Amino acid sequence: MAADGYTGKVLRVDLSTEKISTEALNKEWAKQFVGGKGLGARYLFEELKPGTDPMSPDNILSIWTGPLVGTLVPLTSRYVIVTKSPLTGTFLDSYAGGFFGPEMKYAGYDGVIIKGKAKKPVYLWLNDGKVEIRDAKNIWGKDTYRTEEIIRKETGEKMARVASIGQAGEHLSLISSVTNDLTRNAGRGGTGAAFGAKNLKAVAARGTLGVEVPDMASLLTMAKEMIKTDVVGNPDHAGMITDGTPILVDMSNDAGILPTRNWHAGTFEGHGGINSESIKARVLVRKKACFDCAIACGSWSKVKAGAFSGAATEGPEYETLGLCGSNCGISNIDAVIKFVEDCDRVGLDSISAGNSVALAMDLYEKGALSKKDVNGLDLRFGNEEAYAKMPGIIASREGIGDLLADGALRAGTRIGGGAEKLVMHVKGLEYPAYDPRGTIGMALAYATSDRGACHLRAWPVAADAYGSGDPWSTEGKAATCVEDQTRTSIKWSFIFCDFYGVNFPNMAKYYSAVTGQPSSEDVLRKAGRRIWNLTRSFNVREGFARKDDTLPERMETEPLPSGKTAGKSVPKASFETMLSEYYGLWGWDAQGRPTKATLQEAGLGDIVAKLSHLK
Amino acid sequence: MSKGLKADLEKCTGCQMCMLVCSASHVGKFNPSESRINVEDVFPEPGEFKFNYCIHCDEHPCVEACPVEAIKLNEKLGIYYVDKELCTACGACVDVCPYNGCWIDPTGSYSIKCDLCGGDPQCVDVCPKGVLKRGD
Repeated sequence: MAADGYTGKVLRVDLSTEKISTEALNKEWAKQFVGGKGLGARYLFEELKPGTDPMSPDNILSIWTGPLVGTLVPLTSRYVIVTKSPLTGTFLDSYAGGFFGPEMKYAGYDGVIIKGKAKKPVYLWLNDGKVEIRDAKNIWGKDTYRTEEIIRKETGEKMARVASIGQAGEHLSLISSVTNDLTRNAGRGGTGAAFGAKNLKAVAARGTLGVEVPDMASLLTMAKEMIKTDVVGNPDHAGMITDGTPILVDMSNDAGILPTRNWHAGTFEGHGGINSESIKARVLVRKKACFDCAIACGSWSKVKAGAFSGAATEGPEYETLGLCGSNCGISNIDAVIKFVEDCDRVGLDSISAGNSVALAMDLYEKGALSKKDVNGLDLRFGNEEAYAKMPGIIASREGIGDLLADGALRAGTRIGGGAEKLVMHVKGLEYPAYDPRGTIGMALAYATSDRGACHLRAWPVAADAYGSGDPWSTEGKAATCVEDQTRTSIKWSFIFCDFYGVNFPNMAKYYSAVTGQPSSEDVLRKAGRRIWNLTRSFNVREGFARKDDTLPERMETEPLPSGKTAGKSVPKASFETMLSEYYGLWGWDAQGRPTKATLQEAGLGDIVAKLSHLK
Repeated sequence: MSKGLKADLEKCTGCQMCMLVCSASHVGKFNPSESRINVEDVFPEPGEFKFNYCIHCDEHPCVEACPVEAIKLNEKLGIYYVDKELCTACGACVDVCPYNGCWIDPTGSYSIKCDLCGGDPQCVDVCPKGVLKRGD
């Protein structure tokens, strides 16, 4: 192990042949693409044959950490699953905090690349450079909580960390997630289905090898100072420290962008039952952090009485409160906790699940689905009893669950009669909890995200919906989208948490201290542009272009009815203007495809020959 | 009175930064398994964090149990520490400690326990929630 933040090792596992090998990390790529998103994208682009069915054994499933993961550089506990998305067919990078990422690194690996499909269910056990493909017969069919417990017993390592799928992933639900440390999820895009399609129940790790840096004394001095001044003392983090993401419920409701009843409104009269105050007053047990986090945004919450007594979770987080709360017409925090505990246990992405259940409720209320169609439940908006049964129904694919298990778009399409038009998605990935009709920049962010509708690539919400910006003006929105995507591309490569507002100069400082390599804002901006162009190129190679960077018609045809966004929509002409400007700023052609000159300037000259539109 | 660390468990969020800085300052690596303080998250039930570290008790049965006199007095601080050069990792101290305050390091080469960083405990310095305090 060199003292440069990396373990220097990549593990390869072919589940078809049971061949396991370890190779040196490609150091040139590590310099160019850093780690996490960037490195994962580079390996995937190189090794995945274009047009591969994401559910076939030929898909590549990889798990990456980054150079800062496992060090005292704050808020770097994360890992990323990189694969071709079973849900969208695009590039997919899905992240989770908790403790699994650092543990995988301490066990010896910067990255794990998994190919093939096991003959029967297995799990992967990584322990200080030793690797085993183990029989999963005792955990197949079990939820993620129980899986973690059994794997700890089977391996005899009570501090083993486990990333696993629940019943949803086993049943190849395209909205299934990979869950680690009970409540942390690499949630989006069908990561669970990618595991399930390989008969892979879990990856478990225990590591005592550690991470080394060139000058520990200097790094400790710097990191301790930064934790005090740039994390704990940073006024931008105050709300995350006191409340965590639930603080956004009231803010979104005030801004008129809180998804309500399958996106038919942006304000919810019951928001007071699912906001941060309701969590603090009714269910909060204690604050809980991911590894190496001085913010501790998580709230361990437990329902004390009533129909959902005993249900517990970490959170719920804002996205869950929006999609599984207001968007399902649910105004009782207890019910949301029950729903999301079940999502974590069966391994479902709560954003996609909330959208899918809301769609079913909408269709039920409209009469397009009968009571018989929805498993005999009275599935109207706000019916807590019926709602709380849905994660289990989806995971087992019982009745309506079979339709919803593959996400809202496929469900809508299969139900037909225009049902698909009610789905809020881009490229099949359901919207997170910010309505673009109250933040037009978010329309561009969703349409151009590399994995479908996503709030973690560009997020103009803070400035425009919560701040003093103009939420409906298109001016400057393309430029901020490009800036955000550049910054998050490198941020997700280190891998920092979203909730650390770390700027470019500080990212460069951390990178240099951990790797011993010189860096600067300029170098990292170039790397960010390189990485975003690479994931775009991956999608272009798969056939995605401007024709797919679109929004649901409802964005234009259905103005919001209430609050600050009353009468507001996203006019298609405004959207197209932003999109054209955006392509121009990135140096892409009118179809949204990177040009040869743009790729060469980004240091991606070596992929030009692999893109048919450039031949 | 105990000279060891004091921990206000109610305030702990389980971030394990204490373990990171402890391992970094003792073995020059970020490696929580080599930390002299251990925080375990026990969820969903009972939903709390469990701490293990040497509280520097007055009785110090580890000192008497050590067959090679590897647990020595730091006269300045009035606490006992493990001299890793002398320690044979026999585990006698681990067996006799009523507080689970010491254990064998993951390489199996010696017993590890809190030494208060020679008077400037790094975990106290780094803890972002004020959980850890110096003893009396």
